Amino acid sequence: MAHQSPILVTRLSKTYKVPEREGGFGAAVRSFFKRKYKDVKAVQEVSFKIEQGEIVGFLGPNGAGKTTTLKMLSGLLHPTSGGAAVLSFIPWELKPEYLRSMTLVMGQRNRLSWDIPAADSFLLNQAIYRIPDDEYKKTYKELDELLELEPLMKKPVRNLSLGERMKCEIAAGLLHRPKVLFLDEPTIGLDITGQARIREFLLEYNQRTGATILLTSHYMADVTALCERILIIHHGELKYDGGISDLSRRIAPFKLIGVMLADADTHDLSGYGIEVPNEEDLEKRYIQVNAGDVTGVTSRLLADLPIHDITITDPPIESVIEQAFQQ
Amino acid sequence: MRYFRLLATLLKVNIQMSLAYRADTVVNILLNLMWLGWELLGLSIIFNNTETLGGWGPGELIALLGVFRLVNTMMAALIWPNTEKFNQSVRDGSLDYTLLQPVNSMFLVTFSRITVWRIWDLVLAFILIAVGVAMTGATATAVSILNFVLLTVSGTIVIYSLWIVLIAFTFWFTKFDNNVTILQALLDAGRYPVTVYPVWLRIIVTYLIPIAVATTIPLQALRGELGLGSVVTFIGIGIASFLAASSVWKVGVKRYSGASS
Repeated sequence: MAHQSPILVTRLSKTYKVPEREGGFGAAVRSFFKRKYKDVKAVQEVSFKIEQGEIVGFLGPNGAGKTTTLKMLSGLLHPTSGGAAVLSFIPWELKPEYLRSMTLVMGQRNRLSWDIPAADSFLLNQAIYRIPDDEYKKTYKELDELLELEPLMKKPVRNLSLGERMKCEIAAGLLHRPKVLFLDEPTIGLDITGQARIREFLLEYNQRTGATILLTSHYMADVTALCERILIIHHGELKYDGGISDLSRRIAPFKLIGVMLADADTHDLSGYGIEVPNEEDLEKRYIQVNAGDVTGVTSRLLADLPIHDITITDPPIESVIEQAFQQ
Repeated sequence: MRYFRLLATLLKVNIQMSLAYRADTVVNILLNLMWLGWELLGLSIIFNNTETLGGWGPGELIALLGVFRLVNTMMAALIWPNTEKFNQSVRDGSLDYTLLQPVNSMFLVTFSRITVWRIWDLVLAFILIAVGVAMTGATATAVSILNFVLLTVSGTIVIYSLWIVLIAFTFWFTKFDNNVTILQALLDAGRYPVTVYPVWLRIIVTYLIPIAVATTIPLQALRGELGLGSVVTFIGIGIASFLAASSVWKVGVKRYSGASS
């Protein structure tokens, strides 16, 4: 077969019909008899493709259409229009061969039964996915090496901490060695170390297996650590598709100039650019200027003010993405 | 074969689960025996005042109670716990995972919870049937026993199908927690023989709401009261209702759009 990207999305759209109702008793009675519907365009004409082995970050504010897109790609939702091919399958046909080669992990949903130890849920998954014993043992051993699962397996899932449970949830979703992973907020609610551990795991897993990963996250650290490429979606439309390092150049062509001044608080910097707070470095004051103006502003600053130290940096990716959302 | 293996794994997991709640199991078995006593008491009060009920004598009614219990066991061992789990999974969205597994989702929804200790109930049901049949003095032939087994299976499938349709409604109306209550109310009508009821209600109970199919009719077959035509018809109804329920389920799954956008 000719080379084909594992994830191929063309003009994918999803419109929900949502019942619309005003507040109050009268409106409630009226809507009982005659329901009004409103069209909500959750995803509009989104197109992209992802190559084998890529880890792509899927970003956007709440309600932007990320989860809807992931649900369509995993096969849970039928699109209103447009198409998608994942591993050459049409996801929403829900062919068993497709379901056996992908996984969807949602940080806010439980796959594992709460009442039984994870070990039992794993065995159930082995039966459901028809994983031969030797293959199962091999995969389990690998996952155990990376996630240190063994001590967690015998306890009922309800007794595990959130971080421990998430490790088990992710492992449960990977027992059948899927080639494509859709991860919706896989680190949500975890503390910093927990997040870091899941991140390391995903990176390692991707390198070992060459799996293709599309993930959403609210933690920028997840995205900067894992993804070289990001997709930004807002109001259901794809706003950006490209390298994470190009993002600032394309969306926010700004630089940050940090200056350390004698009598720092007395000078007015508003004539040079927009002053932005920076909590991590309180010794310096930061101003944001257009990338093209950096040289001019820097020489003016040096000429006008008693400067001890000056730095020129790219704006942090978080603020760039935030800026992209606002556009 | 593959589904048998899966069922075996599910059974194993469920046995482990119920072993964790030992006191619960013991209390439930005792409660169940109490209910049986209560039901037999009810029958004895009826037959202290009358010889027959809709033409059926005490032995026949005890056998009927046995078949009823058989169906009830299915309700208690599978339908209740799985409905609870299903409703829960619709609410918290974990149904998404069920639908994305490479096995028939209807199968998973049916068997993911099994109240294992209810198997004791099955034994009780068979004892009641045997005792009841012996009391009537009716001699069962090989054919009537075969018909009885076939019709019990097909009647059970009718009820099962009805259940599938009821829980599939959840795909349309996300909040439909009354689904089991409705089914239980329907099934209670099957506890007494259909001939007690007026004709119009009998028609509803026998045909429109095919609960009686699972209780009275198998017993009629055991007594050799049903012709070949009726037996074939009732088996046909079982097959048809299963096919209808699976297609309602399929349409429902298609319709399902998840708990959040």
